[in-house]
Amino acid sequence: MNSCTASGIEGLDFVISGGFPTGSTVLVEGLPGTGKTILGMQFLYHGAVDHNEPGIFITFEEFPDQLYAELLAFGWDLKALERANMLRVICISPEILIEQMEQPNGLFENIVNEIGCKRIVIDSVSLFQFASNDLKESRNTLYKLRNILRKLKLTSLLIQESNSSEQSEVPFVNYLVDGVVRLSLKTHLNEYRKRTLEVLKMRGCKITEGEHIYRINEQGIHLVPALSMIEDKTAMQLQSFGSTGIAKLDELLTGGIPKGSCFMLDTNSKANYRYIIASVIVTRLLKGDHVALLLSSLVDLYDLKYLCQLFGLDLDDYVKSGHVIFIEHYERQRPPGYESSTIHAGNMTNQEFKNTINEKLGYASSHRNESGDEWFLYYDLNTIVSQRGKEFVIKYFAEEVSKISSAGMSMLALSNFTEIGYETASFLERTSHGVIKTWVDGSYQYLQVLKSPQGNMSSPFLVENIMTKPFIRLV
Amino acid sequence: MNFTINLPLQMECTLFFQENPYMFETLDGIALRLGRKREDIDPVVKQLVSNSLLEKIGDGDQAIYRYIQPDTSSGLV
Repeated sequence: MNSCTASGIEGLDFVISGGFPTGSTVLVEGLPGTGKTILGMQFLYHGAVDHNEPGIFITFEEFPDQLYAELLAFGWDLKALERANMLRVICISPEILIEQMEQPNGLFENIVNEIGCKRIVIDSVSLFQFASNDLKESRNTLYKLRNILRKLKLTSLLIQESNSSEQSEVPFVNYLVDGVVRLSLKTHLNEYRKRTLEVLKMRGCKITEGEHIYRINEQGIHLVPALSMIEDKTAMQLQSFGSTGIAKLDELLTGGIPKGSCFMLDTNSKANYRYIIASVIVTRLLKGDHVALLLSSLVDLYDLKYLCQLFGLDLDDYVKSGHVIFIEHYERQRPPGYESSTIHAGNMTNQEFKNTINEKLGYASSHRNESGDEWFLYYDLNTIVSQRGKEFVIKYFAEEVSKISSAGMSMLALSNFTEIGYETASFLERTSHGVIKTWVDGSYQYLQVLKSPQGNMSSPFLVENIMTKPFIRLV
Repeated sequence: MNFTINLPLQMECTLFFQENPYMFETLDGIALRLGRKREDIDPVVKQLVSNSLLEKIGDGDQAIYRYIQPDTSSGLV
């Protein structure tokens, strides 16, 4: 099962990494009205039209003439496909189907060979279960059905009717098949209903987990994969990324933090964010970038030096070469030689602070233009909130983002959204090009990309501690 | 076509198979799908088989009937 068979639904192919594994048997389950038959026929129609793969639709209850008429609404002329020997809509009872499938050179094999069938949909296998009161017999029938489909190398969709949205036990057929796709109808925004598709299982396929919303429009089913947003082309125009030093995070951000963008790292009080910050800063310094760091009350220069050392970087060298600037609000001990690289902001008024940073970043900006050096800024926003107030942060941060973007620099700002309040957090979230959240829930720490200029979002990843740098791994 | 046997039911059955050309059913199945009694359908289906509108596959109660598609390639239709 190495090759893929396109499903006929672009969004679904994305979710299952290209399509159903060729020759696999996939169960499509859902309540009445979720669009199971449409999904099945879309799979066959596009298989025939776009991939020259003939298919068979087996219906036990619906009459083909009704299907011909109903599906013409999507522009699918099934009768024309039948005339061209690309499709057969077969109406048969479940018992006869099995009987004919068992027979060597029976009706089923004849039709498969006659049109060179590659795809099949059976609507619905629930009737096999209802046909017999004997559980063992219905299990054997479904097992035989799956084996025959597999033997004939047909990529098969078996439609299954669900009776309720919450199933108390998993039906036997779910274990037999290679994949399970669930269609659901859910309440949305109190007054609306939303249709969702979830791939519960797909052997041999990497899947995008989650419930993906789909609509039934004039072309059939249109699925929008979850966790996808619109790319911010303004922040992506420089097409250059700064690695975070964390492989999985880079992968989620398709390369890292884009040049000219500002990212927010939202962390709760229990989460360990130090390795994330250290990894980003060290990776930038090793790349040869210049870095400006606004320090928090929780991490002093000795801590930072130690963290860098863990990552194999001697911060002293970068201080000496002038590659790093520290913005310090607190009167604390610092390693020898760091004085000339430190801006003492503790006693500055807000205006003085702005002027000083402007001057330094103005220097950074013009310096970058002259020398081609890249600048990266790290801000602890909670420090600015506690030292200068929320009002200042709101105004100042928007200005900073704008300046940084236009100067082609990039920024990572640390904040605790819960601590700074809903309104300020919403503003910061909106102003930032990207938002990464890390939090502790129970005994585990999680990380999730909530927003990015690449248009990517992610599901929550577990943050696992590892012994080597970057000391964390996203699982 | 033999018109001596229930003509309306012959028409109903013929039309049903014409509109659903890949229907494969037993006598009981046809009766169920048409909403008719087996004893009424039985002689009609036999008639349609003898008229070469339907093909009978197998024997006894499990015999299956299928529609024979008219040959349109000869140009006579």
